[in-house]
Amino acid sequence: MAKGRELKGRIKSVENTRKITRTMEMVAASKMKRATDRVAAARPYALALGDVLARLVRPDIAERFPLLRQPATTTRVALVLLTANRGLCGAFNTNLIREARARIAELEAKGATVELHVVGKKGIGFFKYLGRNLASERIDITDRPSAADAASLIDGLTDRFAKGDLDAVYVTYAKFKSALSTPPSTEQVVPVVPPATQGTPRDFLLSPNADVIVEALLPAYVRNMVYRALVETVAGEQSARRTAMKNATDNASDMLTLLKRTYNSARQAQITQEIAEIVGGASALQG
Amino acid sequence: MAGALQVSVISPEQVLYEGTATSVTAPAFDGELGILPLHAPLMTLLGTGTLRVESSEGLKRFHVAGGFLQVVDDTVRVVTEEASLVG
Repeated sequence: MAKGRELKGRIKSVENTRKITRTMEMVAASKMKRATDRVAAARPYALALGDVLARLVRPDIAERFPLLRQPATTTRVALVLLTANRGLCGAFNTNLIREARARIAELEAKGATVELHVVGKKGIGFFKYLGRNLASERIDITDRPSAADAASLIDGLTDRFAKGDLDAVYVTYAKFKSALSTPPSTEQVVPVVPPATQGTPRDFLLSPNADVIVEALLPAYVRNMVYRALVETVAGEQSARRTAMKNATDNASDMLTLLKRTYNSARQAQITQEIAEIVGGASALQG
Repeated sequence: MAGALQVSVISPEQVLYEGTATSVTAPAFDGELGILPLHAPLMTLLGTGTLRVESSEGLKRFHVAGGFLQVVDDTVRVVTEEASLVG
């Protein structure tokens, strides 16, 4: 029964693989839960900040703030690409990298030089393989990004933008629309595009004055955009991993059913054959 | 006394406090600032210090650094990059 033993070995191996993928699925599901909680927790801050800026920023004051200045030409651009540190999450990293490459190609076609800042081992590995120079690479941002991580990532770039060394900064990340939809997207971080005003305009007592408040809040707004991108990317990664591992578990189950069926029919065939041999042998003796 | 204040203390990572209060004392950039119900609409930058929220359940203190405070129609929003509950 050589074939049977071979099948048994494969059944065992698929069962073991299924155990691993199922565990990873559950781990990713619980991490995703925490990550989506953080995405939800970050929303009130973003809304509050956006609301205030929308009230205070008028086109006529835009010229006075370096972060709102729209450069006449866009020739030096920085693109920050957020990817995961780990794989086994389906096409998640590939999609992000593809989006970033499309953006780079688009910007370079317009004559801009793009410097690339990559977060996450997967993105770094890919662009190293392509032989592209990376302006910076970071792998120290964990599953629980903090506001400080966002600040350390973007502050240098905003400073350079304010000084005029850069004309725009973009961030490519996985937008967390829902657990099933995390499309890669690219957003312009600076120059800051102030959110549209909603609600009724009110006369506020402003202290010290509008200029100082806007000056103080713009960097916070930029940092928060990056922080949101970080937490959404983590949530997207975990949900992609959960989906990928769920598919793997389902496939393993399907494969197991098939293997077990083959094994059983092989076993039955063997028994039938043995009986036939015994009967045949007995009748030969009688004959 | 006229109504109560609706207070929320928001940091990038989470909402630290959400509820009613009778008064709020905040460390504005130029000194302490007290808010009572029926305050005029106000927007001010915050400095570093202790934010005190007085409610029927007692006093809550938060350490805040930077950010701003907004008052509209008895709704007080404290939005700060660094905030933590004290005590």
